[in-house]
Amino acid sequence: MSRRFEDVTVGAKAFEVSRVVTREDVKAYADASGDQNPLHQDDEVARAAGFPGIVAHGMYTMGTLASGLVGWAGGAEALVRMKVQFRAPVFMGETIVCGGTVRSVDPVAHTATLDVWVRVERDGTTEWPIRKSEAEVRLA
Amino acid sequence: MGLNEALQGTSYPPVTFVVQEQRVRAFAAAVADPCGGVPPTFATAPEIAAGLTNVIADPELGLDLASVLHGEQEYTWTRPLRVGETVTAEATIESIRGRGSTRFLTLRTVLREASGETVVVGRSTLIVREDG
Repeated sequence: MSRRFEDVTVGAKAFEVSRVVTREDVKAYADASGDQNPLHQDDEVARAAGFPGIVAHGMYTMGTLASGLVGWAGGAEALVRMKVQFRAPVFMGETIVCGGTVRSVDPVAHTATLDVWVRVERDGTTEWPIRKSEAEVRLA
Repeated sequence: MGLNEALQGTSYPPVTFVVQEQRVRAFAAAVADPCGGVPPTFATAPEIAAGLTNVIADPELGLDLASVLHGEQEYTWTRPLRVGETVTAEATIESIRGRGSTRFLTLRTVLREASGETVVVGRSTLIVREDG
C-alpha cells in the first residue's frame, strides 16, 4: 500500500539504506539492463579511462536508490518522476548509502517531492555519486 | 570529428520490447528491489535497446562509447511496466549542447503500450569528452 499523506512530514528523513556494491551484482545488472559497456566489466578498460578498477553503472546506483525509494513509498506504482545527477563514480566493494528527505508536499495532488542522494565514504572523505536529485511520489 | 549537431531531432526506428519475467527477476535482484513487480528503473532496458544501442551504431553521429559518461537521468512514469507486456520504445536525439572538449547529448525515449498510450518517458544526458 502507498504511504499515507498524513504520515509524511516536510523536512523529515524518509529513508536511508546501505548496500555493498559487488562485481556479481554489477555483472548481473549489465546482463539484465543490456548495458554491456566494458567500463563496468573490464578493469583494464576502466584503468585506461583513469579509474582504479571497474565502475558501477550510474543506472545500477540509481536503480538501487529507486529500490530504497519505492520501499518507503509503498510500491513502484507510487513513483511519478525521478531525476538524478551522476556526480562521482562507485567502485567495487564500496558501501553506498541511498537516502531521501521530504522537501515538500502537495495536499491537493497528494504527492511528495523528495531530495534523494547516494553517498559513499572513500579515503576518509564523503563522495556523492548522486546528489542534487529529486523524486516525486504519489501518496494515499 | 565531433558530434554531428545536425542530428538533433532525429528519431530512431521504434524497438519492440517484451518485459520478460526472468529478466525482470534478475534486474530486481541486482538493484535489491523490495517490492516485487517490475522495478521502476527496469525502463532502462528498453531505453538502452532503443537509444544507446542506436546512437553508438550511428556512423553519422560520431559517438565513441569510450568517451561517454552518464551525466543525468530522468524518468516520468504513468504506471509501472508489467511482466509479460510488450512495449515499443522510440528514442530521439533531443539536443546536442556544449562547446570545446565537453559536449552533452540528451536522448529522450518514450515507452508506449500496445494502445499507443505512454507508459514511461526517459531522458538521458550523456557527457561526451572530445579530444581538442
